[in-house]
Amino acid sequence: MSQEAIGKERWVVGSEVPSVARTLSQEKIDRYARASGDFNPIHVDAAFAAQTPFGGTIAHGMLLLAYLSEMLTAAFGQAWLSGGRLKVRFRGAARPGDLVTARGRVQRVEGQRGVCSVECLNQQGEVLIAGQAEVKL
Amino acid sequence: MEALEKGHQFSATSFVLDEEAVARYVEAVEDEALPRLAQAEGKAWVPPMAVAALALRSLMEEMVLPAGSIHVSQELEFVRAVEAGERITCRAWLSHRSQRSGWWVLTVEMEGADEAGQPVLAGRSTVMVP
Repeated sequence: MSQEAIGKERWVVGSEVPSVARTLSQEKIDRYARASGDFNPIHVDAAFAAQTPFGGTIAHGMLLLAYLSEMLTAAFGQAWLSGGRLKVRFRGAARPGDLVTARGRVQRVEGQRGVCSVECLNQQGEVLIAGQAEVKL
Repeated sequence: MEALEKGHQFSATSFVLDEEAVARYVEAVEDEALPRLAQAEGKAWVPPMAVAALALRSLMEEMVLPAGSIHVSQELEFVRAVEAGERITCRAWLSHRSQRSGWWVLTVEMEGADEAGQPVLAGRSTVMVP
């Protein structure tokens, strides 16, 4: 493991970023819809969602990104809010009742930026979101 | 989707996240880190993903994506932290359009700027549309 420091002294390449875990519910999805203004029926209309390939409502992808952002805010503070970058692919859907865990690992240093792998998993360990985040050093 | 050509410029939209809206968002996403940081720094910071979510919402409202559309990937750059009460104006354009296995693949790029015209956010969203 490289001992190259990232940001605060405690960050070294290979470090795990402290994870954030949240249990979803339809009430939480509905609350997010009201806060974000995204009332896509796939998220909030059980009857509609039941007729889709998902078979039921799913959480907003941006809600799961909020969990990743909380994790990165806690880890890197202002370096995430000012100059943070995120690049992710949505690979699976999160449903009411799922336990979603956002986690990350410091991968490398590129010039003045630290690069972390990030992902959101469900309770079965299925990857819902995967990608990388960068913060200024 | 046929009407949207590559390079299409969407109408500029703007929004303000006031302290009440920020509190509502923070409660909805159960963010414990942002309030701690804001308190420590004495600033009414807006969660960066709240700015992105509002920017995307305003864009999606104009695109009027059909039911069944899938958000495939997302890139975001938070140029600077945004404080509650700031007005953010977003501009977006269609940077890619193709068809694959009966789906439209659309990539939209956007930029959010403050009232002085300085960038605060940039993003690239890819969606698959049936």
